[in-house]
Amino acid sequence: LPFPLNTSSIGDGGDAAERQWKTSPRKELTAQQKEGMRMVKKVMLSLDEVGGLDEVFTFRESVERLSIFKKIERKPMTWPCQLTIGSGITINIVGYKAMTEEKVKKSWMSVDAKTLRKEDVRRETVYCLNDDNETEVSKEDTIQGFRYGSDIIPFSQVDQEQMKYKTDGKCFSVLGFTKSAQVLQHYYVGRQVLQVFAAKDDEHAAVALSALIHALQELDMMAIVRYIYDRRSNPQVGVAFPMIKDKYECLVYIQLPFMEDLRQFTFTSLKNSKRGTASEEQLSAVDALIDSMSLVVDDGEEIEDLFKVSKIPNPHFQRLFQCLHFKAFQPDKPLPPIDPHLKTMLDRPQELNASYILSMEQLKKLFTLQDSGKKKEQKIAQQIFKDNDTEEVASKRGRTDDFNIVTLAEGNVTAVGSLTPAKDFQTLVRQKNSNFREVTNQLMERVYQFLEVKNREYYMKSMDCIKICREEAGKAGESKFFNMLLKTLKANVEAKGLQDFWELIVQDSITLITKDEAADSAVNNDEAKQFLAAEEKPMETSAVPEDDGDVDDLLDMM
Amino acid sequence: MADWHAHFQNEDEEDPEEAEDNEEDIRYAGRDSLIFLIDASEAMFEMNNEDTSAFDMTIQCVHRVYTSKIISSERDLLAVVFFGTQKHKNSVDFKHVYVLHDLDTPGAKRVLELDQFEGEKGKRSFKDQIGHSTDGSLADALWVCSNLFSDVRLKLSHKRIMLFTNNDNPHAKDSSKARMARTKASDLRETGIILDLMHLRKPGGFDTSLFYRDIVSVTEDEDGAAQGRESAKLDDLLRKVWARDYKKKATTRLNLKLGEGVELSVGVYNLIRSARKPTAIRLYRETNEPVKTKTRWFNGETGSLLLPSDTKKAQVYGRRQIVLEKEEIEELMRFDAPGLVLIGFKPLSLLKKHHYIRTSQFIYPEETMITGSSTLFSALLTKCLEKEVFAVARYIPRRNTPPRFVALVPQGEQLDDEQVQTIPPGFHLMFLPYADDKRKVDFTEKTVANEDQTEKMKQVVQKLRFKYRPESFENPVIQKHFRNLEALALDLKEPEEMEDLTRSAAGGAEKKPKLMESMGTDEIRQHVQGGTLGKLTVPVLKEVCKQYGLKGGGKKQELIDAITGHFTEH
Repeated sequence: LPFPLNTSSIGDGGDAAERQWKTSPRKELTAQQKEGMRMVKKVMLSLDEVGGLDEVFTFRESVERLSIFKKIERKPMTWPCQLTIGSGITINIVGYKAMTEEKVKKSWMSVDAKTLRKEDVRRETVYCLNDDNETEVSKEDTIQGFRYGSDIIPFSQVDQEQMKYKTDGKCFSVLGFTKSAQVLQHYYVGRQVLQVFAAKDDEHAAVALSALIHALQELDMMAIVRYIYDRRSNPQVGVAFPMIKDKYECLVYIQLPFMEDLRQFTFTSLKNSKRGTASEEQLSAVDALIDSMSLVVDDGEEIEDLFKVSKIPNPHFQRLFQCLHFKAFQPDKPLPPIDPHLKTMLDRPQELNASYILSMEQLKKLFTLQDSGKKKEQKIAQQIFKDNDTEEVASKRGRTDDFNIVTLAEGNVTAVGSLTPAKDFQTLVRQKNSNFREVTNQLMERVYQFLEVKNREYYMKSMDCIKICREEAGKAGESKFFNMLLKTLKANVEAKGLQDFWELIVQDSITLITKDEAADSAVNNDEAKQFLAAEEKPMETSAVPEDDGDVDDLLDMM
Repeated sequence: MADWHAHFQNEDEEDPEEAEDNEEDIRYAGRDSLIFLIDASEAMFEMNNEDTSAFDMTIQCVHRVYTSKIISSERDLLAVVFFGTQKHKNSVDFKHVYVLHDLDTPGAKRVLELDQFEGEKGKRSFKDQIGHSTDGSLADALWVCSNLFSDVRLKLSHKRIMLFTNNDNPHAKDSSKARMARTKASDLRETGIILDLMHLRKPGGFDTSLFYRDIVSVTEDEDGAAQGRESAKLDDLLRKVWARDYKKKATTRLNLKLGEGVELSVGVYNLIRSARKPTAIRLYRETNEPVKTKTRWFNGETGSLLLPSDTKKAQVYGRRQIVLEKEEIEELMRFDAPGLVLIGFKPLSLLKKHHYIRTSQFIYPEETMITGSSTLFSALLTKCLEKEVFAVARYIPRRNTPPRFVALVPQGEQLDDEQVQTIPPGFHLMFLPYADDKRKVDFTEKTVANEDQTEKMKQVVQKLRFKYRPESFENPVIQKHFRNLEALALDLKEPEEMEDLTRSAAGGAEKKPKLMESMGTDEIRQHVQGGTLGKLTVPVLKEVCKQYGLKGGGKKQELIDAITGHFTEH
């Protein structure tokens, strides 16, 4: 039998169940099997007084019981050490690993696809220089180094060994005591929980440790401990807190982080943000949901937990063994589906079902949750997994690119920015439901902002804006609006000292939009020319801003 | 070749899950970059009542950031730019802007270069080498910074400028310069460069509304409140810099499904991640250049190279070899799509302290995937806190990963006196053990101490009482390693002494006062004469210096020199 099975139920049921499981688990019992069951039942129940069996399972029931593979058991490993407090107190202790994330013992090895022999697969590691030919060098010609920021520092193994941090071996010494509230549960790091007991058959140790455990319990305090497993391992700082049970009492040790491990992230407060605050109604809906989804039954005296995770077998192992078991006998068939029994264990307990659905509906009504369709993960996954098929990727990429451009151009621009105002403007104007005047006002706002700086670069930017605006206004049948804006600009030239900018407008002959250009304009060609010409005279008289312009030019050239 | 590595990655001895947990999607993120833009006008060099200048504090702060970046994130790019200087050095020849370091990863040489501007000596050398001026323009400085960003060839994911100054109205008399600075600042914003103000204490108080309010970025992601008060002490400043610099990168983003049709999206963050000693790299003996490592798979018999498709995976049970396709291995790990599925709620009292298997994570709402997530999240958080319950959820962090159960433990936001967030709002995601994770323990029979004995122990406990803070312990192994490297890199004779906090720290609270008391003049003199000052720890030496009003700097040798100097004179 390749797998250890849970044999907690009927003795010879194991083989029978095994047989049935292999064939078809949900078959109706045959007459013969029923007869057999009656026999077994009789035999088993007759043992009642002696063996204390009070239950007899049908094959189906035992199948379900037995389809849970036995949990991985490991022998407890003792870790004898001394607990020290300052230099005065030393207590002989023994530690055990009480909890750790259990991993599958065996790992997968690679075998040749044809011969299925692992001997045929060999691995070799070579070193090569970072040049064009990737010149190989032998391992003997390499030395060890470390990065120190951008520098690489050769640091031989021997030197490293000599200079490294050294410990004096095993250690469990108390650095101090702190209030329990200061050691938060989410600080815990490392991969294990140790339970620390007094050494066996050592009365002094037992009394001293017990005194410490009770002292900590009564003061609601914890010990901060320096822990070293052995000579070769790194020191840890951790917490030891008391645990008192009916049968035993001990200290529980869990590692705590070092300063280097902490990352101080700041998150926006949820209280004052506009999208974070929930209404009273919403809050009470959540309140109701929490009540209806309670996983405990409180009958006033005892609290019964309906969903004890620590009683659930690791589904990974269950599934792995199920598949291995299946494949051992049917190597060519595809993997079987996940055992429904296992699925049930991972789901919400049945006891809950009825009541919470209503509260969930209420929640659905009160909160607007909208999928924005930005499932980044999926897109990336697509690209990775289709990487082999270049053609498909190419076509896919093409599509996503298009998509991106569309969103970039239309989806993301919501206002005229200062970086590419002309482009933003154009995008916005072309959106179906845009308001031309509003967007144009935004654009002009930017233009006036730029003009305040009086810098050649910003003048050019402003020119582009005005040109685009003129073009779009003509198309949109908003010529009058544009003409009005241009007149306002002209009126402001004097007041804001923008003569040199106006000169640019004249140079590029950005006139009012005329009747010839757009039907909705009331301006004729002469009027348009007049509009620009009229300002030419005062321009000449103001020579001062031109010097200003020079300074700006210099700046520009830098 | 790259595909190959990716494929066989999991063959390594190390725990693949752990590795994945620590990886933060480096592939898609570019480098992070940070420019320290430091005001070098004379006001920055004036001594304040703490006996340092704002400039000195800034340089110390930058120094700390440099060395810690070397340890924790050596891929990040850092730069230092002074403005308001006499001399100038930058790619566009702007006056009064001096680029000390352009954007690059920090190294030993740069740390040394910074060192020369520290302290009293640094003030003088700055004056001689670079000098001060009042004619600088902030717009020019920002321009230079944006050039620094654009000169970098690498893809940058995070661009940030931290502006250190104690002048709240730099262009009070020149409105056009002020305007240009504002425009340039808004240009930076448009290109995704974040500009932070690290304002320093000045006499009369720093008034951000005079000028800087329009300059600095307030992204929707950050609190206006966090801009907060001016920093007077190095610790405050450092805390502010760290809080800003830590770019929150979600390890993953996924949906939290409460029930049929009710899903919200959250980002999952690692608030604690074990810093490890970096792994060694192989160098070519002749040139000290790094070599590449290539791993090849080949057929042992024919010697021909094997492609990933030429192999399958197998395990042996009993004497039978069971062979699976690689796809099948993925399939058997697949239970459901990645995400969190709510099971129900339990009172916080049922959360067991000793049920621990791995470091917890943290979740915070994410609006980009499902809009409206924040509201529901915040309602859940409020109610869980109020009703003192935690949620139990089934958690699948990545594709093809078996589920684990987690406790979602609510945490309310907390602010310190200066309205700076010390504890963020959200849920801690604590992993719950399965039946397999619990081990049998061969416990020792119970022997209970009597009351007397317990009382005595209580006295011991009270005596050694201190306040635990997770940041109080440095990892001695990592610190020692980097000090060794530093010594080699900077050609120091001996690595800088390190105080091993795991040996003394907590007791330190108890021991320190004792040590101070016992350090009488005679005793110090004895140490000086015997040349044994080196045996004392840095804090003790500092205390002695304070006692006699000596200035010794931060290094141990400097302290010793100062004390020796004092006692040989007197």
